[in-house]
Amino acid sequence: MKAKIMIIDDDPDFVAGIRAILEKADYEVNVAYNPKDGFQVLQSKSYDLLLLDIMMGRGAEGVALARKIRKDPRLKEMPVLIITGIREQIAFLFPGQAVHPNFVDVDELVEKPIEPNLLLEKVSTLLKESEAKKLQPQ
Amino acid sequence: MVRSMAEKSRILIVDDEEVVLDSCTQILEGSGHLIQTAPDGATGLRLVDEFQPDLVFVDLKMPGMPGMEVLEKVNTVDSTIVIVVITGFATVGSAVEAMKKGAYDFLPKPFTPDEFRLITRRSLERRKLILETIALRREKEMLREHFAHIVSHELKAPLGAVQQNLFALEFELADTLNEGQKDKVNRLKVRIEEMLNLINSWLRVISVDINKLKENFARISVVIPISKALESVKPLATRKNIDIAVSISDSLSPIHGDELSLSEAFVNILGNAIKYSHDGSKITLAVVENHNAILISVKDTGIGISPDDLPHIFEGFYRGKDVQNTAAGHGIGLAVSRQIIEAHEGSIAVESQAGKGSTFVIRLPALKPEGDPELEIEPARMARS
Repeated sequence: MKAKIMIIDDDPDFVAGIRAILEKADYEVNVAYNPKDGFQVLQSKSYDLLLLDIMMGRGAEGVALARKIRKDPRLKEMPVLIITGIREQIAFLFPGQAVHPNFVDVDELVEKPIEPNLLLEKVSTLLKESEAKKLQPQ
Repeated sequence: MVRSMAEKSRILIVDDEEVVLDSCTQILEGSGHLIQTAPDGATGLRLVDEFQPDLVFVDLKMPGMPGMEVLEKVNTVDSTIVIVVITGFATVGSAVEAMKKGAYDFLPKPFTPDEFRLITRRSLERRKLILETIALRREKEMLREHFAHIVSHELKAPLGAVQQNLFALEFELADTLNEGQKDKVNRLKVRIEEMLNLINSWLRVISVDINKLKENFARISVVIPISKALESVKPLATRKNIDIAVSISDSLSPIHGDELSLSEAFVNILGNAIKYSHDGSKITLAVVENHNAILISVKDTGIGISPDDLPHIFEGFYRGKDVQNTAAGHGIGLAVSRQIIEAHEGSIAVESQAGKGSTFVIRLPALKPEGDPELEIEPARMARS
């Protein structure tokens, strides 16, 4: 069965470039262009992985969404791959460390734009880790 | 108070001799300036407040408040007001003292109308320059604040989207494109990547707020940011077939610092070493501890830096004259690296010979291990062995 990936990013042009790569690699992809719609979709349907943009709307709305996901009992196990164009600014928004630690258990951060091979490698690693975790006895 | 520069210039003359006030007013009549006079220091100071002059002439020798005191007070109220002292005795001593206290120039009595006009013109030019400088400085601050935002939103994001679609296109057409087409796609990718790198370095320069950096200092091992930096430059090195030989002493003392910004600094320095190295050459990275300092040296055998360029390489937006054809440098990385390292109470130095290569040495203060006096000596001894 195809793994299902959700993308939440407010830049449709960027999303098109990511989506094409993922679909060519045979993933099933769905997209929301703002955090609010994105969260609704995530609650209504289950996904194996979320690709999340940070700077959306009036600021770092992606961060707020990631925190919300982490608190949600059903969504908190879903791996989140953060894709952002703001590596430098992140250092100042979240000084001291990269943004991802303590976000969601198995998340990762990559920078925009992302090369196809790197993207696919990160995606498949996160999916595998998440799969392995599910199989572990509680 | 900063007024529009197109307005008439305002000149205040403070002198207890009525004849001086009258003749000065007369000399400047028809010059288009607004003139007010005051017979004593106290009135003069009040007028400074009300009249807001661009230029104040003040007699040093007056009954009541002495000219020197008027000078000092005007300076405290608004240091952008240009002050010229009138000195009756033509004593160089008091004129010098006045200039030390902030007067722009002095006018010895008696003076001719031409002398007075000349000094007035020069002083008003001075005032104009001061106001322009202030305006420019303010503009620069505004730019700095908005620039990061503009650059990241209006330039970086669209360019990133373009690159992403190019990646996708190439990926989707991997089996379809012929060599010539692949080559064109590659050219597009490389040029966009260069632009993105340039934008990133601009952003780095603008957003590195050294004081904020210090708030997040923690006890860390220098090896972590170094490893991160090595990881990050690996693709660059691989592309040029450059081998990075790494030697790190055991049991290094920790340092007090910020992992992220330090790794940024190391990326810049290693990136430079790679950029200015010849294909297939070798870079040596060594980390040792010596006399309570961690020394990180990065040595390459690349094109080196000419003696002319050497004093300027940490200045920012500087780029050697000879490197244009070699690689796309943008001269900011080293300036940022230096800022970051200096924020860590460290220093960075370079030795270089054109044509032979460069060695950058970063020195960061080592923290003494907590509560273990034995260890304080140990790392230094190891470094020497």
